[in-house]
Amino acid sequence: MTIRSNRDHGQHYRPRMFCLKKLQELVVGMQDPKNGVKGSEQKLNITVIPHVMTGQDIASWIANFFKMDADEALAMGTMMVAFGYIYPLQNHRKLVLKADDSFYRFQTPYFWPVQKWLAEDIDYAIYLAKRNIRKKGILEPYEQEHYNNFNKWLNHKWDFIVLQAQEQYRAGKERKKADRVVFDCQERAYWIVNRPPPRTHSAMDHGLSRLIDPNSEEEQTYDQYRRINIFLEQAIMRAKVKSSVSLGAFVKYITTFKNHDPFLSPCLPSNPWQTDDSTYWDINTRSVEIPTKMRVERWSFSFFELLNDPRGRADFKVFLKKEFSGENLAFWEAAEEMKWGAADSMKEKAETTFKTFLAPGAPRWINIDGRTMGLTVKGLEHPHRYVLDAAQTHIFMLMKKDTFYRYLKSPVYKDMQKKAINPEPHNFSEAQLEQNARNRKPGIDPIIIWQQEQEEKAKAAAAAMPVDVKQMMSKLDRKK
Amino acid sequence: MNRWRQSVGEIQARQRQVTECERAQVALSKVTACFQQMASSLGSDSDGSSLREELAETRALAHKICTGLHRRLLALLAEGEQGQEREHVERMWVFLLTGLETFQKDLKKVGSLQEFFPLTQRKDRDTLVKTGTSGGALEIAARVATIQTPWLAVEDDQIPDMKTQISKMDSLMQEMLQRVNVPLWSVEAKQEAWVEDIKDEPDQDETLEEMMQVELVSQEGTTSNCCHHPRCKLGCILCLLN
Repeated sequence: MTIRSNRDHGQHYRPRMFCLKKLQELVVGMQDPKNGVKGSEQKLNITVIPHVMTGQDIASWIANFFKMDADEALAMGTMMVAFGYIYPLQNHRKLVLKADDSFYRFQTPYFWPVQKWLAEDIDYAIYLAKRNIRKKGILEPYEQEHYNNFNKWLNHKWDFIVLQAQEQYRAGKERKKADRVVFDCQERAYWIVNRPPPRTHSAMDHGLSRLIDPNSEEEQTYDQYRRINIFLEQAIMRAKVKSSVSLGAFVKYITTFKNHDPFLSPCLPSNPWQTDDSTYWDINTRSVEIPTKMRVERWSFSFFELLNDPRGRADFKVFLKKEFSGENLAFWEAAEEMKWGAADSMKEKAETTFKTFLAPGAPRWINIDGRTMGLTVKGLEHPHRYVLDAAQTHIFMLMKKDTFYRYLKSPVYKDMQKKAINPEPHNFSEAQLEQNARNRKPGIDPIIIWQQEQEEKAKAAAAAMPVDVKQMMSKLDRKK
Repeated sequence: MNRWRQSVGEIQARQRQVTECERAQVALSKVTACFQQMASSLGSDSDGSSLREELAETRALAHKICTGLHRRLLALLAEGEQGQEREHVERMWVFLLTGLETFQKDLKKVGSLQEFFPLTQRKDRDTLVKTGTSGGALEIAARVATIQTPWLAVEDDQIPDMKTQISKMDSLMQEMLQRVNVPLWSVEAKQEAWVEDIKDEPDQDETLEEMMQVELVSQEGTTSNCCHHPRCKLGCILCLLN
C-alpha cells in the first residue's frame, strides 16, 4: 500500500500527456473494417495468428488519412510505436516504424498508455518474476538489476509478487497457443515502452514529475472561487499597455539590434563557438584599446547601452573630463556600487556618497531638484540598498537628455568611430577548423580580470580625490 | 485439565482458521490472475458480451474472497497474540492489502475500458482493436470455476456493481490501514528471491524468444525440411543456422 501523508512534498505524478487521447482516437479509426489498415496473417510454425500489418501499410494509411507526405507519416507512425499503441514483431526493442515489410500489430487496450493508468513497480516485478519462472536466466542484466532491487525494496510485498507471478503464469498456460504468443508479445511490448532498456530514447520520458496529480479532479471550494474572483478583479484594474504600442517597441528594438544579434547575422570575425577561434572575444574585452565598429555603433543606440558597455563608459568618462562635468557619472557609479554592494558596507558608502555628492558645498555636488534631494537626504539617515534610486534615476535622465547627445556629436566620439576597427571575417577551411579545435586553450582567469578591475578602480579613486591643497603646497615648497 | 483441553481446542480452531486464510490467499491470487488474463482481451476483437459476463462473475468471486478474508484476518489479529503466529497473520494481512490494491487498479482499468468500448450497438464492434487474439475467456473461465474457498458456498451476497465494488474496496483498504497497526515494512517475505515454478506438467513451453526466432527464419522460406515438432529444439537451431 502506498501511503502518502500531507507532509510528503515529493513530486510523484506524471504530467499530463495530451497526445495520448488523440492517438487513441487515431488507433480506433484505424480499425474501421472498410477504411482501416489492411491486416494479414502471420504464420508461426504451425499456428496462424491473424491481424498483422506491414510497416509500409501503416505508413501509407497514415499518409492517406492525414494527407501528409511520406516522411511525416513515418514520423507519426514512429510516434505511435514509441508510445506503445503499435508494437513491432521483429526487433522488439527498437520502437520505430519502418516503411517496409516488417510486421507490426496493434496493442490491446488493456496495455495502452492512458494518462490515468500508471505502470507501477509492483506490476513490473510480477512480470519479471513471471518471465523468470517461465525460463530461468532469461532476464537481461538491467532487468536482473531491477529484479534484485524490487526484492530489496518491495520485500514486504514479495510473497504477493511471487504468488501472483506463478498464478499468472499458470493462467496464461490455459489459453490457446496462438493467444498465448500474442499476449506474451503484448506484455513484452508494454514493458519495453514503460520500463525502457538503458540508453534508449523513450517516448514516456516526461522529465520531472509533478507535485499535484493532474488526473485528480479539483473540487472547487467556495474559498477557491472567492480567490479567483479577487484575482480577476485585480487583473481588470491593472494598468494596461496597448499591444500596438508594445509591439511597436519590439519592432523598433529588433530593427536597431538586428545586425548585432549573433544568431541573426554572422558575427565578425567569426563565432568562437563555431570556429574555435577566440579572436572575437579578444577584441571585445572590457578594456581593449580600440573597440570594434559594431561596438561603437551600439553605443549610439541608447544611453543605457553606452553605460552598460565598460569600454563605452570609459570613453564617456573621458568626454566628461574634458567638459568638467564628471560628477554626474561618478554619482551614478556610486549609486550602482551601493545597489550591488555588500550589506555591511551600506552605511559607510551612504556616508561617503553624502559627503562627496549631496552635502551642500560638497566637492562634487550634483544638481538635482529640491524634492529628490530632500527625499534622498532623509533616506540616508537609515540607509539601505536602494536609497539613492530616485536621485540616480534623475541623474540618469539628465545625462541622457543632455550630455549623451553632446557626446554623440563630440569629437571624442567621432574620433573613436574613425579609429574603430572592422575585422575581416574568417574563412576557415576544414583542416584549419580541426586545428583550431586542437589548439583550444582556456581564456583569462576571471580572478585576474577582477584583480585588474580593482586596480583600475583604485587608480581612478586616487585620481578623483579632491586635491589636498596643503600637500600641493608642500610639494611646491619642496620643489623650490 | 479441562482448561488445558480447552486451550488445545482453541489452538486447533485457530490453526484451522489460519489454514483457511492461506487457502483463501491462494484463491485470491488465482482469481486476480485470471481476471487480468480476461481483462487483456477487453477492447480487442475477441471482446464480447460473454467475456464481460465472465469478468463480472470473476470480480464478484474476488469480492467475496476479499471480504471474507478481511473479516477472518481481522478476527485473528484482534486476538492479539504475539510470536510466530502473529507474524504469519500479519504477513497475510499485508498480502491482502497488496492484493486489494492491485486488484482495485485492475478494476478501475476494466471499468474505464468497458466505458470506452461499449458493446451496446452493432457498429460498436467496428471500433474494437484488431489485436490478433482469437479465443475469448472460455479457458480462463474454466479455471476460475475451479477456484474454491471455504466460505464460498456459505455466504451469498449479490454481485455488486463495478463502481460500488471499487469504492467498497477503497473503504476496505482505508479501514485496514487505520484500524490495525501493522507496519507494512516489518513484514518479511517468506519466498525466495529467484523462484522457479513447481512443474505440474512437462515443460513444453518454448519461450517467446525462441518462437519469434523461428518465425523470422520461416519468413525467409527455408524451413521446408524442418520438422515442426514442438519439442524438437535441435531442429529449430538447424533452422536458425540455415
